[in-house]
Amino acid sequence: MRKPWREQLSRWWAMPVTRALLAFLLMLAIGCLFNADGAFFRWSVHRDTMRQVSVYGILACGMTVVIITAGIDLSVSSLLALAAVLFAWFTLPHGWPAILAIPLVFLAGTVLGSVSGALVAQLGIQPFIVTLAMMVFARGLAKVISGGQKVTNYVTDTDGSTRLIEHPPIYEMIDSRILGGNISIVTIVFLLCVLVTSTVLAHLRLGRHIYAVGGNKEGARLSGVPVKRTLIAAYALSGFFSAVAGICQAAQETHGDPETGMAYELDAIAMVVIGGTTLAGGKGSVVLTLIGVLTIGYLQKILSLNAAPEATRLMLTGAIIICAVWFQRGRKSARSKPK
Amino acid sequence: MTGRRGMRRSTVPFAGICMLLLIGCSPAERTGHAGTAEDPWIIGMSQCNLGEPWRVQMDADVRAAAAEHANLRVIFKDAQNESLTQRAQVEEFVEQGVDLIIISPKEAAPLTRPVAEAYQRGIPVIVLDRAVQGDQFTTFIGADNVKIGREAGRWIREQLGGSGRLVELKGLMTSVPGQDRNRGFLEGLQLEENTGLQIVFSGEMKWLEPDARREMESALATNAAIDVVYAHNDPGAHGAWLAARAAGRENEMMFVGIDALPHEGQQYVRQGILDATFLYPTGGAEAIEVALAILRGEEVPKHIVLGTRLFTQENIGRGGDPIP
Repeated sequence: MRKPWREQLSRWWAMPVTRALLAFLLMLAIGCLFNADGAFFRWSVHRDTMRQVSVYGILACGMTVVIITAGIDLSVSSLLALAAVLFAWFTLPHGWPAILAIPLVFLAGTVLGSVSGALVAQLGIQPFIVTLAMMVFARGLAKVISGGQKVTNYVTDTDGSTRLIEHPPIYEMIDSRILGGNISIVTIVFLLCVLVTSTVLAHLRLGRHIYAVGGNKEGARLSGVPVKRTLIAAYALSGFFSAVAGICQAAQETHGDPETGMAYELDAIAMVVIGGTTLAGGKGSVVLTLIGVLTIGYLQKILSLNAAPEATRLMLTGAIIICAVWFQRGRKSARSKPK
Repeated sequence: MTGRRGMRRSTVPFAGICMLLLIGCSPAERTGHAGTAEDPWIIGMSQCNLGEPWRVQMDADVRAAAAEHANLRVIFKDAQNESLTQRAQVEEFVEQGVDLIIISPKEAAPLTRPVAEAYQRGIPVIVLDRAVQGDQFTTFIGADNVKIGREAGRWIREQLGGSGRLVELKGLMTSVPGQDRNRGFLEGLQLEENTGLQIVFSGEMKWLEPDARREMESALATNAAIDVVYAHNDPGAHGAWLAARAAGRENEMMFVGIDALPHEGQQYVRQGILDATFLYPTGGAEAIEVALAILRGEEVPKHIVLGTRLFTQENIGRGGDPIP
């Protein structure tokens, strides 16, 4: 006869969050093992890891929502670059106050995101293709606005003369730390994004619709879910988060680089998938994504601390993505033989 | 009905293509321009990729140098990182009857033949920055990354007086510029004679600023004292500085970069972010000078290696100092 605690354990084991956490703890254990002369045991290293991973994490929040609708958003990295360029362009050469620039950048990201959503929902084009097109388009737009150069605090006036200007305080503000210098503002922004996503997915009607659309689009439609509006909202949310990430990127780099964030969408997808949200849609949560983000972030940090060469990093990252996803998939068979 | 609709659909693009062809096929003009203000020499410039600021600068340098000569007109083309597009551009220049071609090729092998064909048809070709194979071109102008790395290494060694703890943030070690800037740097440091010099951390930042910042955070976390950060490009050095500033340690060490673009590295030096940067010259201005010499019928060397320039806070006001 099975004891109740064993049943309890096997139930926990079957939960994706347990497995995601275990993969993350494994990563921390690897960090303790390869601690680079004790550097891994210092808080500043963990603080920097979380700062570094925050921009990816913000993108992953939006990606989670889109993936739950059984879609994909390849445009996040380009929207990030566009947002970074717009933010720098508004605040540096134009000298607009941040209170005006930030909402405008948010608006741009949300609008372009909803355009992707509308193309997916109204025209029924595959999300991969729509967002691929948006990825190319937004990158082009970023280059047009910036003139192909970084938008920096070295500004050219209308008469052709150049001068250096001070960065507005918002740059310093976003790239600073609070709580006695122990946590970066961008990390707080990331956690806020997780909170927003989690609220939307778990507590709002929109969230229920998102799961319904991803699980069974036709069934959702028949049971009265506004499928099109839900899809548009999901992509709009992803566009919004891309804009948030873009502002964080620009503030950290102290300029708007139209080339920034290349291929970040792939990292964001990897983070979502490692957490345990499946690309098939209808399942998953942003808490899983948070754990996935940290797992990849720590992997990168441990490799960096130990000065691993680039080739090793690529191979290890690929291998670990496969292992983590396989680990997630194993839960069905694990139920029959709990440890 | 469907037939008519179908026809209409296909006729519109067809007519469009015909019109484009008509515009595109205006007869190839006379070859050999006089090189006067009325009949200027025409130079075709094929840039492999305008996605990089450094290459944007190269085109800007060519444009600025050409603007000083009324007897010169330059047609700019961007191959958008496609070898075959660039090959087509060279062929187009030949058909158009330009007087000289400047090409900054994407890759050697696929562009060797079109360049050779243009050269054999009597059109002088200047190859900029990246080489093609063989000798079927007029002249090659390029910078030497090993030399620039060596100058950076030597400058750092002299600044440190032979002992110090160094961080090297490498570009991509699978790329030739990354390998050369690393090799030259090690040569310039002369580590055998200067045993006090120590590279305490070296990471690959793939030429990217956010990655450089991450690598520098690791360097700061594992090293209590750092004297110099040498990054293979200026964005890398800037990323390192941002990391050091976030840790409150930016005044503890020097930051040295490479490339010295006017809007980038030179500005960082002016703002006191970088202590030094070494110019990786585009050769744009030199290409126009050499082009004029060729068009006037003068002899030019087959290989021209460009020097570098050192920019520091002390000499930035006078535009840096040349290192031949």
